[in-house]
Amino acid sequence: MRTRGRQISVLCILFVGAVLFAYGLFFHSTAISSGQDEDSAVYVQSEPALIREVSVGGLRRDESGQVQKTYTGQPPSACPT
Amino acid sequence: MAMVKKNNLLSKLVPWRMWVQSIFLLVWLDPLALRLHGMCCPVFHCYACPLATFACPIGVIAQFGGIHIFPFIAIGLLVVVGVLFGSLVCGWACPFGFLQDLAARAPTRKFDPPKWTGHLRYVVLIVTVLAVPYLFGEGHPLFICRICPAGALEAAVPNITQQAIAGQTIVWPNALKLTILILFLVAVFFVKRPWCRILCPLGGFFSLFNRISAFFLRLNPEKCNDCKRCHKLCEYGIQPQISPNDSACIRCLECTRCGPEALTFGSAFQHREKPSAELKPERSQANT
Repeated sequence: MRTRGRQISVLCILFVGAVLFAYGLFFHSTAISSGQDEDSAVYVQSEPALIREVSVGGLRRDESGQVQKTYTGQPPSACPT
Repeated sequence: MAMVKKNNLLSKLVPWRMWVQSIFLLVWLDPLALRLHGMCCPVFHCYACPLATFACPIGVIAQFGGIHIFPFIAIGLLVVVGVLFGSLVCGWACPFGFLQDLAARAPTRKFDPPKWTGHLRYVVLIVTVLAVPYLFGEGHPLFICRICPAGALEAAVPNITQQAIAGQTIVWPNALKLTILILFLVAVFFVKRPWCRILCPLGGFFSLFNRISAFFLRLNPEKCNDCKRCHKLCEYGIQPQISPNDSACIRCLECTRCGPEALTFGSAFQHREKPSAELKPERSQANT
């Protein structure tokens, strides 16, 4: 019975994890503002692209709640922290 | 039956664990210069390191928290790996754990931290990876990447060296990060895996799965003769005979080398004649 319970728990949690992972990989995206001006372009980036951006400290959230890029042109080589 | 053989094979790999760690190290150190930073790895390895194949999941979770976006990929990956292997990743695949294992080979006297210090991992996880980034953003001094010794050692040190060689202005890490790095570098020679056991938020996350993971340590009470050799084999102060899937365990599997082979690394989906939990009452009946 304990083994059966463990098997069910594993399968359920595995399913949840796989769904989260697949959703992030294939469906999740966020609107990013390219600059600090109000008229700066807004475009959508997938989660893998967002991970790449945050790995160099390339994104921040402004006071209005909009996620914006911290740089223009070439990305920084490493995270500033 | 095939599953049983496979698990026994893993137990046979225990004497060669360092070689397995070395092979994983090669994967994380980006020998092909792929820089796949759009994907997380399930180990603690800073993405600002010049040699990092993947992004650090803890750094990604914290950075995403700072911009109020849910990190589906990082959380999904950690949940999948955690529920399959628990903290086996810490003992066999993590490069930062491997570094501490190498340092522990120095012939110095080793101290065991009190067991309660293991709970600090959850404090680090909740405060510096989840709460501080979400509430204050990445500029806060307690943001995990601003205090992380892995980031200091794997990223700041190589970058400072690179800047010095190139004659550029050196950008030093903050004082807190440097202090933690120095304390860590001293501690690794006197405590086995100090970061993993006391402060690692990723180890804390994986340890939550130890009791329910698909692969786990199984005690066979029929074979156990109470010799307590497993207590001596465990370098992390755990009593595997009493708590084989303890949250403090990094699953180095050294305890599976005990004489009677009462501890085995098994799978929840492995077919067995009698589950170990059912053997206990039978043995007590036989004794009486």
